[in-house]
Amino acid sequence: MKGKLACAILMAPFFLLLVTVFLIPTGTAIWLSFFAADQPGLGFGPERTVFVGLRSYVAVLSDPTFLNGLGTVVLYCLIYIPLMVLGALVLALLLDSGVAKLRSWAQMSLYLPHAVPGIIAALIWLYLYTPGLSPIIDLFAKADIQINFLGIHTVLPSIVNIALWSNLGYNMVIFYAALQAVPREVLEASVVDGAGPVKQAVRIKTPLVRGAIVTVGIFTLIWALQLFTEPVLLSQSTPMISARFSPSMYIYDAAFTRNNYGLAAAASVILLAFTIALSYGVTRWTNRKAA
Amino acid sequence: MRLSRRTLLAAGLTAPLAACSTPQRRGAGGPVEITFWSALRGSQQVVDAFNSSQNRIRVIFQQIPSGGQGGYAKLSNAARAGNAPDVATIEYPQVPGFAIDGVARDITDLVTDRVKQKLLPQALKLTTFDNRVFSVPLDIEPMVLHYRVDLFEANGFKIPETWDEFADLARTVRDRYPDKKLTLFPTDGAMQFACFAWQAGAKWFDTSNGKWHVSLADEPTQKVAAYWQKLIDDDVVFRNASDSKQHDAQVGQDRVLTRLSGAWDAGAQMRARPAQKGKWRIAPMPIWDRPVVGTHGGSTFAITKDSGEPEAAMEFIEWQTTHPDALTARLKSGTSSQYPVAPGLVEAGGKAFPGEYYGGQDIYKLFKQEADKIRDGWVWGPRMTATQKVMQDGFARAGAGEGTLIDAVREAQSGTMPDLKALGLSTEEGAR
Repeated sequence: MKGKLACAILMAPFFLLLVTVFLIPTGTAIWLSFFAADQPGLGFGPERTVFVGLRSYVAVLSDPTFLNGLGTVVLYCLIYIPLMVLGALVLALLLDSGVAKLRSWAQMSLYLPHAVPGIIAALIWLYLYTPGLSPIIDLFAKADIQINFLGIHTVLPSIVNIALWSNLGYNMVIFYAALQAVPREVLEASVVDGAGPVKQAVRIKTPLVRGAIVTVGIFTLIWALQLFTEPVLLSQSTPMISARFSPSMYIYDAAFTRNNYGLAAAASVILLAFTIALSYGVTRWTNRKAA
Repeated sequence: MRLSRRTLLAAGLTAPLAACSTPQRRGAGGPVEITFWSALRGSQQVVDAFNSSQNRIRVIFQQIPSGGQGGYAKLSNAARAGNAPDVATIEYPQVPGFAIDGVARDITDLVTDRVKQKLLPQALKLTTFDNRVFSVPLDIEPMVLHYRVDLFEANGFKIPETWDEFADLARTVRDRYPDKKLTLFPTDGAMQFACFAWQAGAKWFDTSNGKWHVSLADEPTQKVAAYWQKLIDDDVVFRNASDSKQHDAQVGQDRVLTRLSGAWDAGAQMRARPAQKGKWRIAPMPIWDRPVVGTHGGSTFAITKDSGEPEAAMEFIEWQTTHPDALTARLKSGTSSQYPVAPGLVEAGGKAFPGEYYGGQDIYKLFKQEADKIRDGWVWGPRMTATQKVMQDGFARAGAGEGTLIDAVREAQSGTMPDLKALGLSTEEGAR
C-alpha cells in the first residue's frame, strides 16, 4: 500500500505534464480541426461555429504548399539522418578505439555546441551565412570562390549543417556510452581471432550498439520532422525559404498569418499522425530485422 | 526639479490606477476617448491637429509596425483578445480579410451620404463588399513612373508612354550602360504585379455571383507575366527584392533609371534619399492601349468590432479623410505624398507638399489626372497577405532562374484555394 502511494506520488509529475502539455493540446487541436467559425457565401455575414467534418483535412491535403513542405522535410530527413547517425557513430568509434588523442577534450568540444540553444545556434550560423556579414564568405571571395549559402539549392544543406553542428556531439555521447558497455572479453576474443581495429569497429562493435543506433535514429527523425527554428531564422535573410517551408512553418503561417485556426489544427494533427506512423514503421522494420 | 515625497506617492498611486481604467469610456464630463493604431507616417501630427481642433473627442494614438512587419498580426491578436483599438489602419488588399474575420465592423450606416459625396467612388468601391462598407479609404494611389530626369535628358531618352516603348528603352539602357538598368522587377512585389495586371484588365477576384471567383492567371495576367518574363530573360531589368539593401544601392548609386510605384512613393523617396533632390520627376505609368492604370498602395480606416464609441470613431475618420487640415498636417511632416481620396483636398495637398525635390513639378496635378484613370472593377481577395507571400516565393525563384512568373501566379492560386475552402467560403476557380 505504502509502495503504491510512493509510486503514485513519484509518477504524478510525469502524468500531470503528459496531460497538460500533450493530451490537452492534442485534444484541443483535434477538436479545432473539426469545427470552424463559418459564414455562408462571401463570408461577410455573422459567424457561427459549425461542425465541418473533414473539410479542413481535405483543404490541407489538397494544398500544394503543404505537400511541398512535407516533401522538403522528407528530403531533409534523407540527407540529415544518415549523416548524423554515421557521423556520430564514426566519432564515437574513434574515441572508443583510442585513436583520438586528448579524448576528454575532443568529447567536450564536440558536445559543447549542443549546449547552445537552437535559436542562438541558428543566429550564429545566420551571421556566418549572410553575404556582406560573413567572414567565411569574405574568405572564399578572396580565393575567388563565389559561394552563396542561402541560394536556391544550398539552403537545405545549410540547414542540415546547423542541425549537425548542434546535435552531433550529443548523439556521439550516447554511442560512446553504449560502446563502453560492450563486454571487453568479446573484443579481446576478436583480437585473438585476428580482427584489426577497423574490422573490429565495423563487425563487432557496431552490431553490438544497434539498440543505441535505432534509438538515436528515431529521436533524430522525430526531431527533424518538426523542423522550424532554423528555417524561420534563416528566412529573414533569404527569399528561398518561404513562409510555408516546412510543415511546422505551414502550421504557424496558417494560424498567425492566415488566421485560419481550423486549417492550422488539421495540419498539426496530420503532422502528428505522420510522425507517429513513420516512427512506428521504422521501429517495426528494425525489430523485424532483429528477429 | 525637486519632487516632494507627497507628489511621488501620489504619482505612484495614480499611475497603476490610470493603467487599470479602461479608455474608450466617457469620463465624467470629459471628452470621449478613442484609440487609434496606424503605421502611416505623419499620423501623430494628424492626431495632434485633430485633438486640438475640438474638445469632445480625444484620440490616443499608437504607432504600430507596418502590416507585413507584424502590424496585421498585432491587430488580429488584439481582436481575438477583445481589445482591438477603436480605429485601425488597413491597406486595401487586406480589407476583405479583416471584414471576413469580423475585425472590421460593418459601418454602412455610419458612413453618411455627406461623407460619401466627398470621396472618390472608385476608392469606396474597393472597401465595399456585399453592399456593405467595411472601411473608409484615406488615399488612393495610382501607379506612376518615377524617372531620373538628369539621366533621361543627358541621353535624350523620351518618356515611354506605352509598354512597348518601355521595353525598347530597357534594351537601349542595357546596351548603353553595362551597370545600369531601366527598372527593377521586384521579386517581393506581388502588389506591383497586381497593379500591372489590374491595369491590363485582369480580375483576380470577382464576387458578383455571390461566390469568390478566383482566377489569378487570367488572360490579361498572362500577358503581363509574359511581358516581364521577357524583360527578365533578356536581362534588361534588375530582379531582386525592392525592400532590400541591394535595391537601396541600385537607386542610391544611380544604377536604376525608373521606379514603378504608387504616388505615395514620391514622399518615401524624398525621405530616403535627400541627396538625389532635383534628379527625379514623375510621369504617367506606361499603358497597353487604353489609358487606364491600377493602384499600388493606399490605406483605409476601419472601426473594429471592439470599439465602444463607433460614432466618435467615425467622426475622427471623417475628419482624417476629408478635412484639409488633416492632409496638411500629414504632408507638412515631410514624409508623405499620399494622394487623398477626397478630391476636395487635392488643392490643399498640392500646396502643402514641399515641391523642390521634384524640381517644382506639380505632382498633385499629375496624380489627379492619373487617379481619374484608375480601371474600374478590381476586387481584392479574402487572404491577400498569404496569396501575396506565395506569389513572391515564386517570383524569388523565378528571379533566381528557376520557374517563371506565370508559374508563381498559378502557385499563388493553388496555395490560396485551400485556405478559402477551409474558411467555409463559397468559391469557384476560373481559368488558370
